[in-house]
Amino acid sequence: MKKSIEFKIKPDWDEIEKVRNECTEFLQSHELSDDTIHSLSMIISELIENGIKYGNFKVVADKVAVVVNVDHNNVTIEVYNPVDESAYGHLSRLDRMIQWIRGYQDPFEAYVERIKEVSKKPLKDVESGIGLVRIAYEGKALLDFFVNDNNMLNVSVISNIEGDDRK
Amino acid sequence: MIRQPTMRFNAHLLQGEARIPIEAQYDSRFSLLIRFFNGFPSNQAAEFSKIVFQQNGDKIELGPCEYIVEPHHQNFQGRLVFKQAVYDLNSLFFKNKIDKLQTEFSNLPLILAHKSKIKSEFKEFTAHLTYDLNVYKNIFDTLDARYADEPEPIKQKVQEAIIETEGRKFMRFMDQKLEDFENIIIDYSKKEHERHGYYLRKQIWHFLMCAPFMARTNLKPRGYSGDSVMMKMLYDNRYEGRSTFAKLMHKHPNEHPAAQAVRNRRKLIATMLGELKTRGPKSRGQKIKVLSVACGPAFELQDILTSAQDCALFQFTLLDQDKSALSEAASQIAALENKFNTKIEVELLNESVRTMLTTPKLEKMWGQFDYIYSMGLFDYLTPPVAKAVIEKLYKILNRGGEMVVGNFHISNASRYYMEYWLDWVLYYRTEQDFIDLLKDLQTAESRVLFEETGSQMFLHVQKTES
Repeated sequence: MKKSIEFKIKPDWDEIEKVRNECTEFLQSHELSDDTIHSLSMIISELIENGIKYGNFKVVADKVAVVVNVDHNNVTIEVYNPVDESAYGHLSRLDRMIQWIRGYQDPFEAYVERIKEVSKKPLKDVESGIGLVRIAYEGKALLDFFVNDNNMLNVSVISNIEGDDRK
Repeated sequence: MIRQPTMRFNAHLLQGEARIPIEAQYDSRFSLLIRFFNGFPSNQAAEFSKIVFQQNGDKIELGPCEYIVEPHHQNFQGRLVFKQAVYDLNSLFFKNKIDKLQTEFSNLPLILAHKSKIKSEFKEFTAHLTYDLNVYKNIFDTLDARYADEPEPIKQKVQEAIIETEGRKFMRFMDQKLEDFENIIIDYSKKEHERHGYYLRKQIWHFLMCAPFMARTNLKPRGYSGDSVMMKMLYDNRYEGRSTFAKLMHKHPNEHPAAQAVRNRRKLIATMLGELKTRGPKSRGQKIKVLSVACGPAFELQDILTSAQDCALFQFTLLDQDKSALSEAASQIAALENKFNTKIEVELLNESVRTMLTTPKLEKMWGQFDYIYSMGLFDYLTPPVAKAVIEKLYKILNRGGEMVVGNFHISNASRYYMEYWLDWVLYYRTEQDFIDLLKDLQTAESRVLFEETGSQMFLHVQKTES
């Protein structure tokens, strides 16, 4: 059984479904429960969508990379996309948002707070951050990110696998 | 206090088919001052279905609302308040959000349902705990009231006597309760810990909020755990709070092993850098370049720089994501400069490790360092990020240079106290997890050491000469 699976995809919305399907098969091979696979697939889609949305794809060779690794206790999902200095504002917001979400012991609390914030209708379009909160709460996962020396943004998620997460 | 700008604007009120023009002004969070433009009987209370106006190009309609007669010095005739949905006008005018007070209730069913999977033994424990804490609080509050009218120095002495006697017994009660609590939750899964922690905090929220330390760790006013104010409270380890009970609740977590570990690591860093002092300057005129990553207020500088000679030996670069923490560090450095009547070479960098520059740019801007340390950062970094950050830092370490990073060990005796009571979650590591962060670094010699409580470990890395 393979421990990890990797993809490099064009920044194209249609690619998300393909990756999602292949990841689902890969996760099924590790005998994870249907609920867990559903949560992890949601996370993979959400991270790739963000990668496409915020990535800076200047040449055809610029891709979104996805790595999913399963070990005894955790599933780690890493999504890479190229960024340049114009992404700094987004990355600062991402930094604050991730630290805020992870500041709660129970991600449910972040979820409730975010839903409340979103229901205070903003007059101008602003990022709701609800996707990241869903990853933490529904996906039961720890989010983090960094920018590597090749100006690739790596957003990672670690999902703890416990007894009832397996079939 | 920041004074908000006057927000005065034209609007109209709807009453049946009538459209009544007014001038309005933001006056308080939940009311507007208004003045009618045309002969509306302004001396009578009235109800309107809506107030309508433009804000930054958006048409805003709020209502229903009620006019209250209230002659005002600024030529306004009365005040408009909302009758059903209560709008927060501060949010509307200054944050561009339509926010109703009732929004707080929007998640109520979800929150109420969240208690459904709480185990009965935990419910029982929490019920007994809240009963006991209420009893203790009532007694300490009663005592506080009995000496409240005494002169300040007498009050202080009486309170000290109570803290040293019954207060210390309360601390032992808390220790016992925590022991009972850990026996109950020891086998819970991660999801169960999260859910039960939320439940506990909801039940004992008012006790947590009275203790300055517990309130701050729970509320996280700077948006993250472990800010410089929390660090100062840990270092000070004093009785703080508005009542005897609050002081005891504040002090208890400050006496726990993890808090002691934070105080120990400050000493440890001072000792390690002290060893560099004994080696003296690198060569003539060359200072020892030290980088502190996620430096916070850098209180340890007080322990490291104990003379003008020490100040002349080092060049510090202090990096933190939090401008307030850097400003506190700057004040401290200024105080040391005054104390020793000398300049300290220091650069303050407002950066987050997650978004900091690529290594070549870092090297170009900051150069290479002889010593890099980071005490309260890796506890928040997951393995992919921790590995990337440690590799990046290693690259800007001089050959022969040393790096020390701290991380709470998986066996931290305060772990569940921190998670459940303080809502303070760390990324815990084993020794092997810690060493694995270096697996792709070929020229590193490493060892893991612990401070006295065994709660926190340190990865010491030396960049070898080869």
